[in-house]
Amino acid sequence: MTDQAIIRLAGITREYLMGGERIRALAGIDLEIGRNEYVAIMGPSGSGKSTMMNVLGCLDTPSSGQYWLNGHEVSRMADDDLARIRNREIGFVFQTFNLLPRASALSNVELPLVYAGTGARERRSRAEEALARVGLAERMHHRPNELSGGQRQRVAIARALVNRPSILLADEPTGNLDSATSVEIMRVFGELHAEGQTVVLVTHEPDIAEHAHRVVVLRDGRIDTDRRVEHPVGAASAVA
Amino acid sequence: MSALGRGNLFSRAGEGIALAFDAVRANKSRAALTILGIAIGVMVVIAMASMISGIQGGVTEIVSRAGPKSFVVMRYFRDGIQISDGTDEMSPWRRRPRLSRHEANLLRDLPAVQDVNVREGGISRVSYRDRTLGDQTFVQGMDPVWLRVEGGEIIDGRNFTAVDAAAAAHVVVINQSAADALFPVGDPVGKVIKIFNLPFTVVGLYQDPQELFADNDSPKIIVPHTTFSKVGNFDRGWISIMVFPTETATQAEAMDQVTMALRIDRGLRPGEENTFDLVSGDRFLESFNSMTQGFFLVMLVLSSVGLMVGGVGVVAIMMISVTERTREIGVRKALGATRGEILFQFLIEAATLTLMGAVVGMILGGLIALAIKSFTPLPAIIPLWSIVAALAASAVTGVFFGLYPANKAARLDPVEALRYE
Repeated sequence: MTDQAIIRLAGITREYLMGGERIRALAGIDLEIGRNEYVAIMGPSGSGKSTMMNVLGCLDTPSSGQYWLNGHEVSRMADDDLARIRNREIGFVFQTFNLLPRASALSNVELPLVYAGTGARERRSRAEEALARVGLAERMHHRPNELSGGQRQRVAIARALVNRPSILLADEPTGNLDSATSVEIMRVFGELHAEGQTVVLVTHEPDIAEHAHRVVVLRDGRIDTDRRVEHPVGAASAVA
Repeated sequence: MSALGRGNLFSRAGEGIALAFDAVRANKSRAALTILGIAIGVMVVIAMASMISGIQGGVTEIVSRAGPKSFVVMRYFRDGIQISDGTDEMSPWRRRPRLSRHEANLLRDLPAVQDVNVREGGISRVSYRDRTLGDQTFVQGMDPVWLRVEGGEIIDGRNFTAVDAAAAAHVVVINQSAADALFPVGDPVGKVIKIFNLPFTVVGLYQDPQELFADNDSPKIIVPHTTFSKVGNFDRGWISIMVFPTETATQAEAMDQVTMALRIDRGLRPGEENTFDLVSGDRFLESFNSMTQGFFLVMLVLSSVGLMVGGVGVVAIMMISVTERTREIGVRKALGATRGEILFQFLIEAATLTLMGAVVGMILGGLIALAIKSFTPLPAIIPLWSIVAALAASAVTGVFFGLYPANKAARLDPVEALRYE
């Protein structure tokens, strides 16, 4: 099963010192996520959900335990190596989009390729391709403030995809969107999953989690439940 | 793996420069203030460098115009400023005999010497009827060949002649400025003016050479030296003799002959020091250059202070910029930017800011140089090295003062940075 797993967490803990008090955000997580899985990570606030997201995204390193991402042991990596892993292996989608405000959609999408060292011409064609993929071919020269919330999130998804990461990591991707737009964005995730993309969704909204095929619920820094979703929302149309 | 090893450094730098321009556009007044500090520093460098270069170029030109081979025999010459209290210790020239016309004639006859001009100056009241140049007008006595040394030309009338000189005639050549003051209307040539309380006939109107330091505004009164030494009341003993070597002789030959002739005439024994000084253009330039070196040093200190002040401004603005863009830095890190790449981006931004300042400063400095050139007799040349130096210094300032904020940005924790509101 190990060669199938794109993410493998073994005994992951993360502790913080806060006001002299030791806080255990993650208290021993064991989890495997296979290639082309669509997983939602849920939990109430304080459950360790955000810390989990930061560890999975290689933005934070665990206090103990091991984390293999696509064959790399990332739990002991130094800053710059983690930056490289984030660049190659992870596509981030944030709740607040986090686009650079003064750059065009195209420049925003090119950014991961800049850090990957891709040449200017290839950068451009791949960014255009990614934007076309999320249905924004017409708006690639617009700045974020000239785009709607849904369009901004599509730009962010294009940016996450452009470097062909092994996982797409979305943190409350619909948190700042109205419900109609949320449905639209979740459809994009469904389609990407159908095309073979591994998707990890961190959310506190059960409706959104029901789009995934597997739901992992955290409570007090541990995995509370880990279940398959019988009939994922939107899956029928995507698969059938 | 080196932080900058990946990808093309130039495209990365290009992105940094574009970001810097973006940042400037986004905060125009703030950026303008930052740039101003650097601009003032650079402006000082350029303006001062252009003036000094101009003066230097002008002096070199004048010295070479006066005949690259000519030199002056003086009773005493020392670089810098002398303060005398009349004692031997403070006035080393006291033991030296005065130069004399006899010696000047001796030098004129040397084979390597074509001609000599004897010069001496004194103060007198100069007046025409009820008009006067004042009681403290500088009057110079010179040999008829003076025009060749001093440059300029006679624009009306004539120069005094060898006959005038031999007869110690009471004739005078004045310049336009003196003529304007004494003769507001009418032709000055032929008029009789009073110098040393004696009547002198104006025989010529003289046009100063248009050049550096030619203070065309101050009146010039030139009489034959023979006349001057007869009637001038002044502190005698400060004749200087300008020597023109012949065309075929070198300056060194002429100087050797002059030295020998004067030593023999003065009966100096071998081993005894000369009791006169020879001052060539080179030597004059040398002492002028040592003076301008002092200028340069002061300028350097002033402009580095300017750049330091500008640099502190850069630190302040960059700190604000880093804080404001914490979230952006977080995003960049999440997308794969290493510390080195963030550092590089902010350093480029700081250097771009200071270089913009340098360009603005250069334009201002150039305008000042231009203004000096057009409104004063001082020439102003902007030397290439000052442009290069100003650009380099401001880029270095940007990188140096940008290091602290850029490093702060590079070390941000991505989790914290992404959470920043």
